[in-house]
Amino acid sequence: MGKLDGKVAAITGGTRSIGRGMAEAFLREGAKVVVNGRDAAKGEQALKEMGGGPNIAFFPGDARVQSTADGIVDFTIEKFGKLDIMCLNSGGVQNTAPVHMMTNEEWQLEMDWNLNSVFWGMRKALNHMIPRQTGRIIVTSSVEGKLGKPGIPGYAATKHAVLGLMKAAAKEVGTLGITVNAILPGLIETDIVRETGPESAKMMGVETYEGLLEMFAQESSIKRLNTVEEVAAAAVMLASDAASGITGTSWAVDGGTLPY
Amino acid sequence: MELQGKVALVTGGTRGIGRAIAEAFVAEGASVVINGRSPEKGAQALKEMNAGDKVHFLSGDVKSREGCEALVKGTIERYGRIDILVNNAGGATGHAPVVDLEDWAMQDALVWNFWSTFWCTQYALRDMLPRQWGRIINISSVEGKHGKPGVSIYVTAKHAINGFTKSCAQEIGTQGVTINCICPGAIETDIMKDEGPAAAQAMGLTYQGLLDWFASEAAIKRLNTVEEVAVVATLLASEAGGGMTGTMYSVDGGTAAY
Repeated sequence: MGKLDGKVAAITGGTRSIGRGMAEAFLREGAKVVVNGRDAAKGEQALKEMGGGPNIAFFPGDARVQSTADGIVDFTIEKFGKLDIMCLNSGGVQNTAPVHMMTNEEWQLEMDWNLNSVFWGMRKALNHMIPRQTGRIIVTSSVEGKLGKPGIPGYAATKHAVLGLMKAAAKEVGTLGITVNAILPGLIETDIVRETGPESAKMMGVETYEGLLEMFAQESSIKRLNTVEEVAAAAVMLASDAASGITGTSWAVDGGTLPY
Repeated sequence: MELQGKVALVTGGTRGIGRAIAEAFVAEGASVVINGRSPEKGAQALKEMNAGDKVHFLSGDVKSREGCEALVKGTIERYGRIDILVNNAGGATGHAPVVDLEDWAMQDALVWNFWSTFWCTQYALRDMLPRQWGRIINISSVEGKHGKPGVSIYVTAKHAINGFTKSCAQEIGTQGVTINCICPGAIETDIMKDEGPAAAQAMGLTYQGLLDWFASEAAIKRLNTVEEVAVVATLLASEAGGGMTGTMYSVDGGTAAY
């Protein structure tokens, strides 16, 4: 018996890294899962690696455009009949710069990727969940949703912003059987961090990519990075029926970095 | 079975939140020592839990260092070690506005909630640190983040637990031992029914008014349940909980915004 038997989940950016970890954990707990990503080939690859079968599907699309956020909800309902768990997970840092050097284009990219995508997906999912009086929305924020490091102002700003959005929405739907929470992971060495980390490190004034990883590890109590499994376990808990009384929280999975 | 083979001690575990946590741990494969002051209530709890040799009762009061030492030692004697400590026992009597508050009430609340957490944690760490694995879960409260009038003894003690937890987490972070707080909203447990009316009076409310106030502050507009706390305790106690420490996890239906 799984903790998510009979549930249907959609995960933006779920082909790799944190979203992928959530997808695998949800599947193990008995849910049906739709994962999303920009690259159809990576999507097919992910489905294959997760064992394929009738309980998992892929929806292609870039989370930075509204049609993807709307589309994954429609696709999930069409494919599996409903949507119980919406994980708004896609996001990242790209072409970052310190504030005084940041261009409008770079800023807008962060807004669309990390904030607008969460708003679009949340709005669309709530419109399905509210009439059904049940649902779980889980936003992937970051330890940078409460702290702030130099050189990644767009990331820090948007990861803070989604917490405000999450708190307001939690209050709006609190009596409707729907919870809205955020998970705040510490740094995890995912594919996307390997790809974008070296450039971010430069903009953050750290000499090397390893220096960036070391800075995050040193800020924690455990003096190591986090893992996708740690985030996935928290997501399973928040998605479960037993978590109906947990909403509006900023759920740290950061090895003791945040002091609050 | 996320806690297969683990050994847990839950202080104040015969009823309410502690009992629910004990049941959840047993369901996940752990051996659990529950504790309470009354042997009768302990025997009753063992009967109701019906978990054979997977659960053991130790009578004792956490309001002294010796009492806490005996609980940790008794757990190790019974099951060989202590992997998971849940500092759950607590409460407060003698509520009054600060201007009228008597010393004994503040001291008793600090001993019952905060000193007991410190004492049990210290003895548990002496078994956990050499083995480089452990989970300590402190039951704080939404009042460990907020503050209500008339109940400063409880609010102060719960805030103290939060501060203690943050410091301790930094000390032991690299040694495989985590320490966290769960901050539940109000739950109508037996102890709430026992102590709530006096607390309400100190706050200028009826007991029902007290419950309504807590519910109205929450996004879910209801009180919480012991099961909601237990599911979080299970997560924190699990292997995956190894990356979560020093944190004040709210189980309050959206009351505390932080």
